[in-house]
Amino acid sequence: MVKVDNLVKNYGSFRLDVSMEIPDGTVTGIVGKNGAGKSTTIKSILGLVKPDGGHVTINGKEASKLTAKDKEEIGVALSDSGFSTFLTVKDITAIMKKMYPSFNEEVFRRNCSSQRLPFDKAIKEFSTGMRAKLRVLIAMSHNARILIMDEPTAGLDVEARNDILDLLREYLVEDEKRSILITSHISSDLEGLCDDIYLIHDGKVILHEDTDAILGNYGVLKVNEATYEKLDKSYILSTKKDHFGYACFTNEKQFYAENNPNIVIENSDIDDLILMMTGGN
Amino acid sequence: MRGLIEKDLRLTLVRKQTLIIFLVMAIVMGLSNNGAFLIAYLTMLALVVGTGSISYDEYDNGFPFLMTLPFDRKTYVREKYVFSLIAAVAAWCFGALVFAVMDMVRNNGAGLSEIPMMTAVIPSMYLATAIIVPLQLKFGAEKSRIALFVIFGIVAVLAIGSSSFLADSVNPFVSVINILHDLPGAVTILILIAVCALVTAISYLCSVRIMENKEF
Repeated sequence: MVKVDNLVKNYGSFRLDVSMEIPDGTVTGIVGKNGAGKSTTIKSILGLVKPDGGHVTINGKEASKLTAKDKEEIGVALSDSGFSTFLTVKDITAIMKKMYPSFNEEVFRRNCSSQRLPFDKAIKEFSTGMRAKLRVLIAMSHNARILIMDEPTAGLDVEARNDILDLLREYLVEDEKRSILITSHISSDLEGLCDDIYLIHDGKVILHEDTDAILGNYGVLKVNEATYEKLDKSYILSTKKDHFGYACFTNEKQFYAENNPNIVIENSDIDDLILMMTGGN
Repeated sequence: MRGLIEKDLRLTLVRKQTLIIFLVMAIVMGLSNNGAFLIAYLTMLALVVGTGSISYDEYDNGFPFLMTLPFDRKTYVREKYVFSLIAAVAAWCFGALVFAVMDMVRNNGAGLSEIPMMTAVIPSMYLATAIIVPLQLKFGAEKSRIALFVIFGIVAVLAIGSSSFLADSVNPFVSVINILHDLPGAVTILILIAVCALVTAISYLCSVRIMENKEF
């Protein structure tokens, strides 16, 4: 289990101040705009940056004090960092074998072959998609209990993204205690994978909700000015004025459907959540 | 540690063509010059390769991922010193072997007795590693070169300056060289090893501190 307890990190005028929990056996997503603090949160959990306050614990241990043994339980894929691109998959296999006692060479090789990753070619010659797949396969290669992934699908086409998401789903199916913490700009990736979502904005968690609840209960009401004035705003989370009137974001679309049968209610997804919760008035 | 050494070894072998050219050059130079040069040159080359592995880790923003692998920062630092030492010793042995073969062919083995004294090359040159590693960890590959030039510049100014302004009898550099010159070879090597160990220990502690305070 990963526990982030009042984590504070200051970068000049930017202040990250978040709390979150990733229980065993769950897939948690972090969404937010660029610069919201997603990567800083991930880096703090991994002990790559030092918090100015609060605590991050992984399986009960402070992130900054994780031993080599503790780190073996964590598989990591970062969007902008990986093994040296001068190495080949063959080199990485040899390195991982010596790094992780639980490295499963046979499965790793099989996965690389099935994803058509060449063994003897330097990574610098790989396409963006091949590099991303390799990063995910490396993270999954040593039977980690938790995978921490920062934008694993960034910059990929829909087919490569689906391949990666399928790999992650297969990994979860193999052991129900495994968990994943993932950030992504692409909300549809998270909708089909995550149990719950944290929305970070300006360094703060402004919403934490089950993915099913977001897709089932949240919605966008499209109303004109007159209807808006009369609308019961008890369950309106944010409002945005547009050319036609108002777009109101609610977490109780059923309530409005029953009480205002004439208004247009659109189902919402995580993109709406980000747009309405971070850009609304 | 084993995984890190494997990584550095494989990254070194990425440049195997360059290394082969250097080795051939070393052998050619060894044939035309004296063997002591060959051993010193190869040892220096190995130490450049050893400390150069930090540049490979730094290249292309590699550090954040590297630091998530199962070792602590202290182990990372220790491995850099160990890897440089392994590289230096291996290169020295290769150089000594070439020297021995050439000496057997040319002089019927008359110069083989020089080999034990040539071990002094390892601690002498390893001192440079002890200076470079913390600089490279602190400033990165590019800026550390500038820092290194500044340090060696200061040392050169001190050494040349002292020889210009001070008489040999009161010049500390000359006194140290004279003392070492008068000592038996084995003692000189032991002193060199002791100095090297002390400088390396201080350098290691500095490097660990730099790494532990570093954010990625």
